[in-house]
Amino acid sequence: MSEGYHMQDELQERAYDAHLMRRLLGYIRPYRGWIILATVLLLVLSVLGNLAPVLLMHSVDAYINDATRLAAPEDMVAAAAERDLSGLYRMVLAIAAVVALQGLLRYVQVLVVSVVGQRTMFEMRLGLFDHLQHLSLGFLDRNPAGRLLSRVTNDIEKVQQTIVEGVVAVISDFMTLLVVLVVMFSINPILACVALSPVPLVVLTSVLFRKYAQHSFLEVRRKIAHINSWMQENVSGMRVVRLFNREDVNYAEYVARNADHRDEWVRQVRNFALYFPAVEFLGSLATALVILYCGMVMLKTGEATSGQGSVGTIFAFVFLAERFFGPIRALADRYNLILEAMASSERVFALQDTPPDVCNGPAPVSCARLKGAVALEHVWFAYPSAAELQGEPRWVLKNITLDIAPGERVAIVGHTGAGKSTLIHLLSRFYDIQRGHLRIDGVDVRDYDLIPMRRNIGVVLQDVFLFSGTIEENIRLGNPEISQEKVEACARHVNAARFIERLPGGYGYHVGERGCNLSTGQRQLVAFARTLAHDPRILVLDEATANIDTETENLIQDAIAKLLEGRTSIVIAHRLSTVQHADRIVVFHHGEIRESGTHQELLAHNGLYRTLYELQYKDQTGSD
Amino acid sequence: MKNETRHAPPETSWPPAEPGKPFLTLLRFNRRYLRAYLTGAALAVVFVVISLLMPLIIRATVQGLSTGALGTDRLWEFFWVLLATSIAAGVARYFQRTLMIGASRHFEYDLRNAYFRHLQRLSASFFQRMPTGDLMARATSDMNQIRDFVGPGVMGTVDMIRLPFTLGMMFYLSVRLTLYSLLPLPALTILVYLFVRFMNRQSKIVQEIYAELSTRVQENLAGARVVKAFGIEDRETDRFREKTLEYMKANVKLAVVTSFAWPLIDMLIGVAVLMVIWQGGKLVIENHLTLGDLSAFLITMVMLAWPLIQFGWVLTLYQRGAVSMNRISAILNEVPEISDDQRTVMNARITVGRIQFEGVSFRYPSPPESAAQAALPTTHQRPWAVEEVSFEVPAGTTLAIVGPTGSGKSTLLSLLCREFEPVSGHILIDGQALEVFPLHTLRHALGCVPQDVFIFSESIRENIRLGRPAIPDGEILDAARVAGFLGDLQEMPQQLDTLLGERGVNLSGGQKQRLALARALVCNPAILLLDDTLSSVDTRTEELILRELRGYMEGRTSIIVSHRISSIRHAHKIIVLADGQIVESGNHDELVELDGLYARLHQRQLLETHLEEDS
Ligand SMILES: Nc1ncnc2c1ncn2[C@@H]1O[C@H](COP(=O)(O)OP(=O)(O)OP(=O)(O)O)[C@@H](O)[C@H]1O
Ligand SMILES: Nc1ncnc2c1ncn2[C@@H]1O[C@H](COP(=O)(O)OP(=O)(O)OP(=O)(O)O)[C@@H](O)[C@H]1O
Ligand SMILES: [Mg+2]
Ligand SMILES: [Mg+2]
Repeated sequence: MSEGYHMQDELQERAYDAHLMRRLLGYIRPYRGWIILATVLLLVLSVLGNLAPVLLMHSVDAYINDATRLAAPEDMVAAAAERDLSGLYRMVLAIAAVVALQGLLRYVQVLVVSVVGQRTMFEMRLGLFDHLQHLSLGFLDRNPAGRLLSRVTNDIEKVQQTIVEGVVAVISDFMTLLVVLVVMFSINPILACVALSPVPLVVLTSVLFRKYAQHSFLEVRRKIAHINSWMQENVSGMRVVRLFNREDVNYAEYVARNADHRDEWVRQVRNFALYFPAVEFLGSLATALVILYCGMVMLKTGEATSGQGSVGTIFAFVFLAERFFGPIRALADRYNLILEAMASSERVFALQDTPPDVCNGPAPVSCARLKGAVALEHVWFAYPSAAELQGEPRWVLKNITLDIAPGERVAIVGHTGAGKSTLIHLLSRFYDIQRGHLRIDGVDVRDYDLIPMRRNIGVVLQDVFLFSGTIEENIRLGNPEISQEKVEACARHVNAARFIERLPGGYGYHVGERGCNLSTGQRQLVAFARTLAHDPRILVLDEATANIDTETENLIQDAIAKLLEGRTSIVIAHRLSTVQHADRIVVFHHGEIRESGTHQELLAHNGLYRTLYELQYKDQTGSD
Repeated sequence: MKNETRHAPPETSWPPAEPGKPFLTLLRFNRRYLRAYLTGAALAVVFVVISLLMPLIIRATVQGLSTGALGTDRLWEFFWVLLATSIAAGVARYFQRTLMIGASRHFEYDLRNAYFRHLQRLSASFFQRMPTGDLMARATSDMNQIRDFVGPGVMGTVDMIRLPFTLGMMFYLSVRLTLYSLLPLPALTILVYLFVRFMNRQSKIVQEIYAELSTRVQENLAGARVVKAFGIEDRETDRFREKTLEYMKANVKLAVVTSFAWPLIDMLIGVAVLMVIWQGGKLVIENHLTLGDLSAFLITMVMLAWPLIQFGWVLTLYQRGAVSMNRISAILNEVPEISDDQRTVMNARITVGRIQFEGVSFRYPSPPESAAQAALPTTHQRPWAVEEVSFEVPAGTTLAIVGPTGSGKSTLLSLLCREFEPVSGHILIDGQALEVFPLHTLRHALGCVPQDVFIFSESIRENIRLGRPAIPDGEILDAARVAGFLGDLQEMPQQLDTLLGERGVNLSGGQKQRLALARALVCNPAILLLDDTLSSVDTRTEELILRELRGYMEGRTSIIVSHRISSIRHAHKIIVLADGQIVESGNHDELVELDGLYARLHQRQLLETHLEEDS
């Protein structure tokens, strides 16, 4: 598969991006109270976290070590022990309080952050989905569904991770670092310097790591995205894959893509495998230096409790160094998470920022009920993709002028690919025309309020699409104004009632994805009934009966004739039998209107229509 | 497609998956990387042993310092030993990581391949009940969860090798203190058990909702035109809101419990440290324990804390991974309903292409909801889609099938392609039962143009040859000519290289159909099956195609389904289906004579033509 038809999906290799971050933070703004709470909690937690080692140091130095050193004369032992034990108990109680408080606060903090993350994700996802609803078909056509799907699902999930694991955790890490620094320096500045001496090396390693890891990180993401959208398409088209014995070839391609992805990962793993032990080593170096330095000092002064070095200080610093290097190690890991989430949010925002190019103007004209006069004036149209690819657009419709009076029944015929369906798409404003004017009831379609206008136009599209759900849901499409009776009446009009009633569950029959458990003709009938049920002012049938037998088709025509009295209808059909009774027949040829008139006029005209007619006629009488 | 020669035929056999036993499945899939894992584990042991030296050294230092029996030389010695051990630990760590996490990536690769390969084997009825969105959610989100468990999760698990060593060390330092510090253990066990149970249930719910969520998005995107045409964007957003809200709630519920994991383990460790200081302090003060021992003990215990914290985290990963593994196993465990089996004769060939249906009946499998209710009343069964159908198509002749909508025409073709298996009756080709032919052979001999056209987002060339690189452009163009697609093709900006959108969005209805026809023609099949293939093609183009096809079908067995009498009147034989049964059969003239359903359909078209003349 090549991505050629589709829009490019490239990721910039950008590092931390302040603008993106600000925008992300915008999403958490409504929860800033909670975030502030979480941050304060984090601060308290890092203080508490450092309190424990300090208390530990204190208990060792003040109570335990002292006691052993003073325990020389026999008779003093009992007294000393008693005094010192109570001190020890006090310390123990203090540590217990710290531990309990720490647990409680930690729980609150973690919970707050995850709930905020979840809520943010909910809003972001909903917003994105809503935006997606309003993007033009020109855009949707050119973006694989799999890609858009992963924006709404995976990418948003990743963004949530930034918030939970990224932002908050980073804040927490920084705070811990800060508090550790303060504590270290307040205990013993020189020792603090000694313990922190490997930090420049840590920074250097981190910079190097970032340089190598970043590229491969984004590569992994890109590759997996391709695998997924490729797979999605191949799962949808599995039937063709199988019928044409394409499994092995397909599989080989999948494996190749997959292997590519894996290799990139393995590269990534190696980067990490180098980095983590390196930082761990530097952490141990710090510990070793602390011990060495303290030992030296103590040896020199011959004191184990002096301000310069003590056993307790060693304890405290060994713990503190651990606390210091832990977050640094984590920061590098989080940096990647954030990087990944940044990439995700960049994509999400890019989608969110795609302007819906077919949308309401500044002052949309409302239209509850259209009369149904359609006027095209010198309309030129080329599909957006084609227009972008080369200089001169590939015109699909050229200079079309056509007037349809309210209540008129117009038929469109023409060879395949002539642009008939395109015309229909323009009428519903799926795409905007490049030149000319397209007016309904004298108002340019671009000036209407888009959604109500489209609701006035009932289209049975050439490619039938049914949602998974019941038949009734498919006909009603959530419109509460359509009653059960109406659903059934419409199904009867299009002669679908007969088969629906025989299905297990009748109108409650569960239709599979795209209507896969109905026959093609049945799907068309349901789609037809759906359009009728929505009571459109302008009815547009794009080969609505192409897959339906003539007998049923005739029944439908008879049934809906009355229903359509006074409504504009536009019917595209290849079977002339379908269109011959129209008020006017328009013949399309290569994007232009070749002829137009009633059946009789066109026959008399001796043009394209006549040829089409004769083909059918000759064929039917030829061998009889 | 460029890659297809780059790889030798890839692996196609994997160990069986056991739904409900995720760990076993994981084990089986990872067996081939056992060496890597074992080496990694051995390195982990090395690492642990080395890092246990640290508290010993510290003990010696502290002991030496507090008794004043330590010289500068010894101190330096300790320093260097400490550095050397950490370097050794780092090296061990590096290899452990590359080996183990590397293996997990290889495992992921295998599992992805297995998953995709298995999907390829599954038959049509499976894809009818499983939405694509769900299958994709498994391939993405579930796959990630499993990978996270196998990579970092297993690393974390292996790191717990530290546990016994550390414990041993603690016991060595002080039995009494160790026992004290283990006091919170029973509480821990119970909590972990409860925690795991909840996680298991809730993450399953979360994953399921997630799958529904993606199905919904996927369907919304696929049906974008309908959504727009009916102006139901808001309703779609509402429906989506419901699901997202449900998803959020399930996640929050999960968070309420999982957020407990971290502080809980933190607290338990805190309690352990407390016990040690309290009791240890007392022991030291009472001179039962040296200060060096106490410090070593404390440091060892802190080393124990890390794996314990990790244990909580690994547990979470494992739970999620297990749920996801089960979801994937469920798919891997689906038995393909139709595949080559003991009835298959590997070298069976289709030579002339005579087709016989003998009393074939078929009904589509019941929808999954009602299948779940065990004792299924027969009324819930679908009606026969095809009932007692018998006919024969002599080699090299053309059979046409007509009939009202939903009468079972497409179903007959599906049965012939073995997408479904008849409930009763036999289908034979060249006098041999369909099951005798390997699926590959059968499908190679059949050139089927399904009623629903599916176009891949590739170039037109790739869409026609569908991955058979041997087909030269000349043949592709020839097939396009027969299918009446050549004219359109030449108008396209890049002809055969023109890239198509998903499902061929940038083609017209008729163009898609003719492309699909060309795709079947280019395979040069022994039997050609056309299912309403020219329904979106105008009569003039149809006429041209039929003329070309007539030559092509010369000597080939073909079955044509159509609603247009004009497409089928020249067939050697026509059968008329109604409600799954053959109601009439014969050639055009005989059927017109018969004055039944066929004659009526025909009459209608004739009548109209005459009407046209009259009016
Ligand atoms: N989304 C699209 N992007 C680019 N080109 C398109 C798109 N849709 C259609 N086309 C091209 O525009 C031309 C007209 O297509 P259209 O669907 O309007 O034909 P049609 O008259 O409806 O044909 P048919 O009878 O086969 O349905 C065709 O050449 C087609 O390839
Ligand atoms: N996948 C399916 N699952 C369940 N029922 C199905 C499935 N496909 C078809 N049916 C049912 O089986 C019957 C026969 O369907 P089939 O597709 O064979 O009709 P058909 O003759 O091809 O109709 P059409 O002319 O509309 O294409 C119909 O009643 C249909 O509802
Ligand atoms: Mg069309
Ligand atoms: Mg059919």
